[in-house]
Amino acid sequence: MKKAIALVFALVVAIGATAAAGAKPTAKAATAAGINCKSTLTIPFVTPVTGGAGFIGTEQVTWAKYAVKTLPSQFGLKIKLVVGDTPVEQGPAPAQALAQKYVADKSVVALLGPSTSGAVVASTKTYFQAGIVHLSPSATHTDLTIGTPGDPLLGTPAFFRDVPGDYIQGPADARFMIDKLHAKKVVIIDFQEPYSVGLADVAQKTLTAAGVSVTRLSAPNTTTDYSAYVTKVPSDADVVFFPTQKPPDIQTFGQQLIEQGKKAKLFGGDGSNDPSVFKIPGSYVSNFAPDIGGIPADAAIVAGWKKDNPGKTLGSFGPPAYGAVQILLRAIQLTCIADHGVIKDRRDVLKHMKQVRVKNFILGGAFRFSTKTNDPLNAKFYIFQIQSNGSYKLVG
Amino acid sequence: MDTFIQLTVDALTLGSIYALIALGYTLVYGVLKLLNFAHGDVFMVGSFIGFGVLQLLGGTSNPSVPIWLLLVLVTLAAMAGCAVLGVVIERFAYRPLRDAPRIAPLISALGVSFFLANSMQLLFGAEPRNYDTFSLSNGALYLKGLDIGNVRVSLLRIITISSAFVLMIVLWFLVNRTRTGKAMRATSFDREAAAMMGIDIDRVIVFTFVLGSALAGAAGVLFALRVPTTVSIGFIAGLKGFTAAVIGGIGSIQGAMAGGLILGFAESYTQGYISTKWSDLVVFSILIAFMIFRPQGLLGRAEIRKV
Amino acid sequence: MSEQLAQPEHGPAIGQDEWVARHGQRRSLRGGPLGTLETRLLRVPWWAWLVLFLAAMSLLPLFSSSGYVRRVGFDTVLYMLLALGLNVVVGWGGLLDLGFVAFYGIGAYAYAMLDSDKFGIHLPSLVSVPLIVALGAVVGLLLGLPSRRLSGDYLAIVTLFFLQLFQTLTTNGDNAFGHDLTGGPNGLLNIDPLHAFGHDLIVQHRGVFAVSYYYVALVFFALVFVALRLVNHSRTGRAWRSLREDPLAAEAMGMPVNWLKLMAFSFGAATAAFTGTLFAALNGSVFPLTFYFVLLIIVYTMVILGGSGSMPGVVLGALIVSPLLELLRDPGKSRVVFYLAVLGGVVVAFRFSRKLGLVAAATAAFGFVAHAVAGAVDDRWVAGEHAGGAGGALAHWVIVPSHLAGWVPVVSYVGLIAVGLFLTLVPQRIRLVLLVPTLYLAAFVWENVMLVYPEPARYIVLGVILIALMILRPNGLLGEKRVEII
Repeated sequence: MKKAIALVFALVVAIGATAAAGAKPTAKAATAAGINCKSTLTIPFVTPVTGGAGFIGTEQVTWAKYAVKTLPSQFGLKIKLVVGDTPVEQGPAPAQALAQKYVADKSVVALLGPSTSGAVVASTKTYFQAGIVHLSPSATHTDLTIGTPGDPLLGTPAFFRDVPGDYIQGPADARFMIDKLHAKKVVIIDFQEPYSVGLADVAQKTLTAAGVSVTRLSAPNTTTDYSAYVTKVPSDADVVFFPTQKPPDIQTFGQQLIEQGKKAKLFGGDGSNDPSVFKIPGSYVSNFAPDIGGIPADAAIVAGWKKDNPGKTLGSFGPPAYGAVQILLRAIQLTCIADHGVIKDRRDVLKHMKQVRVKNFILGGAFRFSTKTNDPLNAKFYIFQIQSNGSYKLVG
Repeated sequence: MDTFIQLTVDALTLGSIYALIALGYTLVYGVLKLLNFAHGDVFMVGSFIGFGVLQLLGGTSNPSVPIWLLLVLVTLAAMAGCAVLGVVIERFAYRPLRDAPRIAPLISALGVSFFLANSMQLLFGAEPRNYDTFSLSNGALYLKGLDIGNVRVSLLRIITISSAFVLMIVLWFLVNRTRTGKAMRATSFDREAAAMMGIDIDRVIVFTFVLGSALAGAAGVLFALRVPTTVSIGFIAGLKGFTAAVIGGIGSIQGAMAGGLILGFAESYTQGYISTKWSDLVVFSILIAFMIFRPQGLLGRAEIRKV
Repeated sequence: MSEQLAQPEHGPAIGQDEWVARHGQRRSLRGGPLGTLETRLLRVPWWAWLVLFLAAMSLLPLFSSSGYVRRVGFDTVLYMLLALGLNVVVGWGGLLDLGFVAFYGIGAYAYAMLDSDKFGIHLPSLVSVPLIVALGAVVGLLLGLPSRRLSGDYLAIVTLFFLQLFQTLTTNGDNAFGHDLTGGPNGLLNIDPLHAFGHDLIVQHRGVFAVSYYYVALVFFALVFVALRLVNHSRTGRAWRSLREDPLAAEAMGMPVNWLKLMAFSFGAATAAFTGTLFAALNGSVFPLTFYFVLLIIVYTMVILGGSGSMPGVVLGALIVSPLLELLRDPGKSRVVFYLAVLGGVVVAFRFSRKLGLVAAATAAFGFVAHAVAGAVDDRWVAGEHAGGAGGALAHWVIVPSHLAGWVPVVSYVGLIAVGLFLTLVPQRIRLVLLVPTLYLAAFVWENVMLVYPEPARYIVLGVILIALMILRPNGLLGEKRVEII
């Protein structure tokens, strides 16, 4: 019966440990009256830092860290950034547990992310009910902000993003294929994950509507060898559209296209915008930002980030995270002013989101949210062509 | 017709890599009767060792040695590294459990597999790594090759397939024509009897792990020459490799080769002619069919239960 | 050990196993208040323990109103259910089922299909849940059929492939012959909460996890625990035990071996499916990747750690591993867990002897010296952020450089593993000396490498637990029986 005694003992320990782990109030300034704007506020960043899409989160976190280091003093705030990891391999479920964690933390006034569309879907209701604004720098799935009769809205009014959705990217890419590349036959390959499938769907819709013949293939998310897919690309196909969040995969695909002597041009989405990896000459990539390195207003920011992250290359996922921090800080500042120094309810931040204006936004131009949806106003996608020296040239 | 030839080339590429992995399973199962779950992850580590050595030698865009030497060095390094890893795993995770109930080493192997995959992720991150063999002398490995009809069998594929087969032939010689190989076969036939005949069982087992893991390392490099590798490929690679070994008849070397090729053909033709989505389902059906109608596999011998 | 046992040897009784005899002897020797207490406790019936346990568990929400704590508590109860289910297959049936979490997924997906807008079906939970449990049992039987004559290894590969197949089917099920069945990688959303008699059981209130689900989960747990205990003490349970101990003898005694295996398989599958319904009802959405290899390893670690074959054991396993994983997610708590674990390990290894004091003092001194030397050579070596701990002493003990060169994590981590393994090979005296720098290296690696990426780090811990348990204590914490796969 030593067993049972040990069991009970361990139980007490385990329960005690769990209770202690979660019960500890992290914000001492959080009182029933509200959150003091002078106290340290927490902004969690829910993003995949590990796993197959880990490169997205890793890059985003470096930018968010840089933003939290440099920006809050301009807004008169003190901010602590915590990172919640949601590796794509485990599906969106971890995002749900994290949501409970951040809702319970009273010092959390707003949230960055979730970075992947699946994680948004899994957790947005919880954040909405708790009144926490969550602003994603990379979840582009159309249905997150726009509901149509066939595709119900998946997001909630508390979900925002500072990058345009796939409903802009997909048609933009498709129009480019039709108008500039005069494509008659297009092969679309999706990667069986929410980002890829969503983008492939909208692009396919535009293409079919314009009378382009579309072949749709679907690769399991464990695929690494695309030989069979390349074989299935007809020799007279003009374009292969392959939205993926793993740049090395589209690079491999391009190499195998060349290996098999297929003439089709390769076209990637924002997820494959990585000049250090995807460099098949003559291919196209779309992205929600023009080349950040080329915007004069961003020069100081880029230089500062590079100093903090020696050896890292400038990618496309990080800068929107910087911008997202900027937007959140402004919204919190507006709330603090309206609430006279004490945020009474986290919901108040939500009320001020749409009043945010950023003059020199990191992605170029001025930033404000659309009045109809929680998307940026007038955002557009840019299309690049890969040159023979591997550089990306803006073509549309 | 072109599609058929292309798919056949795909099947051979894929199948020869499956076969190399399957051989590792089958060798270890032969002598230890242990399903070495960690084998797929040894394969993964092999592909990463190859990547590391490649970077040390200047990468593909600016290699410091001739291409052929580069490929040989990378493969040998991966083989050697994996052989060491295999021996360490055997010594510390399996040997203490040799006389334990059979579930013990299996669970331990699961633990090793999980440990390896996550350790690699901790140290090197989860982003895919591309050898970028395309950059070697301006894509010569992709653009040159043998033309069959309209289909070009690129130099890279020829290298992959032929190296795999050379390795299999070398293995066949080691097992069938050397003293140690003979000891291995004896151990695999009846471990106790072999021990009584004065065979050093420990040595044989270490040798088996060296062979199997080195093959996995080579397979890892051959695989990663063509497609990017990640820390999570071990699971699928192991699953496919073991399925190939079971289909071919676990414990049989020729069976593992045949099983690997069968799997390669099944996957390639399914993806080419039926659907890219359902190839796993087809392979699973083949596995189940074998389980029902020929549980000892294609070339395995039926197990006789001794009472 | 042998010295302790060198008491006057009364030969074991005839027909009694020697070890059993000695064990009985030691037990009868134990006296004093502890011994009395033990005899008393022995007389407490199992259901009283269960009630006590449930009472203790149901107090948890009183400790904290945080939705997070409740959520972790709920997840832990789910894990306890899963562990109980896997215990039937592995612990009692002796079958290595690597597709176990696929049945969990089947339960969750089936609930999502029967209770959501997907197909417009909204069955009352009292109908859908029993239906899904039956479904799980049937699928379990079907999967077991082709493997019924096979040995454990073959069963392992068939079930592992089944797990992979579950992934393929659910991710591709959005276009199965033109029909969208599973939502594919986007998963199934807007699933109904549990509902009966026209009432919904609300999942969250203002974003905070409602406590009602925690209690529902506990009720589920009590039901499953009682049901499985009854099964284990029935004819079938006894047959499983005999089958596991010696399948050949069991067969010779005329037991329907194949049928018994299938039963075990099916019971496990049904339990997993049952748990799946709860998971789906709570989360409101299901996605394929939730039910994959990582979850499988987690549940296996729970069963093995607790002791496969023992019901209180696997429950204990879940109770330890689930909060542990949650603690390791957070760098601050992960650090505390690490130092406590090292301390505990050293205490267990040396008991409270002089060696313990020696090692502890030497390690502490080693660290302060190393830190001072490193700081003297280059300020940056010790300039990294450190949360402190142990009254700030830790910040002066472990080296945390402000910037790590790329090779440092690799070399230190691999070095730690190499030294750790090497320690098991050398004689005791050398081991004692080497232990000091090894412990320090471990602290360095934990602070500088593991804490940076908590996600892989916590799974590495699971892997290590599995390997170490198998070698040091294959029967886990509470398991007694030797489990043999058939």
